[in-house]
Amino acid sequence: MPASSRAQTLKAEMPPASFDAGYVVRELTAVADYIRHIKQEIGALQANELCRDRLPMAHEELGSVVKATASATHTIMEAAEDILGTDETSPDRYRERVETRMMQIFEACSFQDITGQRIAKVLEALGQLEKRLGRFATAVNARDATDTLDPEEALRHARREMLLLNGPQIEGRGVQQDDIDALFA
Amino acid sequence: MALDLGMPILVVDDYQTMVRIIRNLLKQLGFEDVDDASDGTSALAKLKQKRYGLVISDWNMEPMTGYELLRHVRADDGLRTTPFIMVTAESKTENVIAAKKAGVNNYIVKPFNAQTLKTKIEAVCGG
Repeated sequence: MPASSRAQTLKAEMPPASFDAGYVVRELTAVADYIRHIKQEIGALQANELCRDRLPMAHEELGSVVKATASATHTIMEAAEDILGTDETSPDRYRERVETRMMQIFEACSFQDITGQRIAKVLEALGQLEKRLGRFATAVNARDATDTLDPEEALRHARREMLLLNGPQIEGRGVQQDDIDALFA
Repeated sequence: MALDLGMPILVVDDYQTMVRIIRNLLKQLGFEDVDDASDGTSALAKLKQKRYGLVISDWNMEPMTGYELLRHVRADDGLRTTPFIMVTAESKTENVIAAKKAGVNNYIVKPFNAQTLKTKIEAVCGG
């Protein structure tokens, strides 16, 4: 903006030297409008609904997913270990035993259908959270504070940084085994 | 040089299913003397009590990570030559470089298969 028009804008925004009741009313009305707008946006965030329903539900569903996958893994491994460790000499009995165990493996794999549905619910909740927070941040022109990490989180963050605890990478983003092999060749 | 199937191996992982998977794979490869630990601290205690021919360790564990365990092992005069393979989901380049600098003998990214584990053990322990 050129200096002359910036000066004009500033002049237009500055209160007149003498008391102007109309100016004060306009300013207070603008503040009241802004507060009303912020209240609307806070309402649209539906924070209570998120805290009361969606986030606990996501927590519970993910907990169930962990339990179901652990249980299925245990069943599958038990069946596989039993097949590997069997010393059955009769071919018929061996076949029967392997088939029984194989059926248990198939049954255990059905966990994927249910966990898939549970994860879909969590994704939907996260999508809602993302949408509402995004709208709120835009509406109030939010800026992130940099000094609000609680001490426990700050310690965890420092540990992750120091010990390179990056966790699994999204598929295709991490280094490939072939590249690692080349490094160690 | 043939692999010494009698050598004791220490598997370090806080996820019991992974310990079980690695134990089974090692058993299939012919290794019978396999111990496990659930983090670096308990692994270090076991390493000081028994001479292991190989350590297979995860990275992300508490309280002591596999990366810290590796650095402890390499800093200890009695343990520094113990072969050490990292088996981890940490697949950022900085992790691999840091582990190599710290003296890891090989690095496997999870998920992995039996052939990869076999190849790395052979490369490290002389198959």
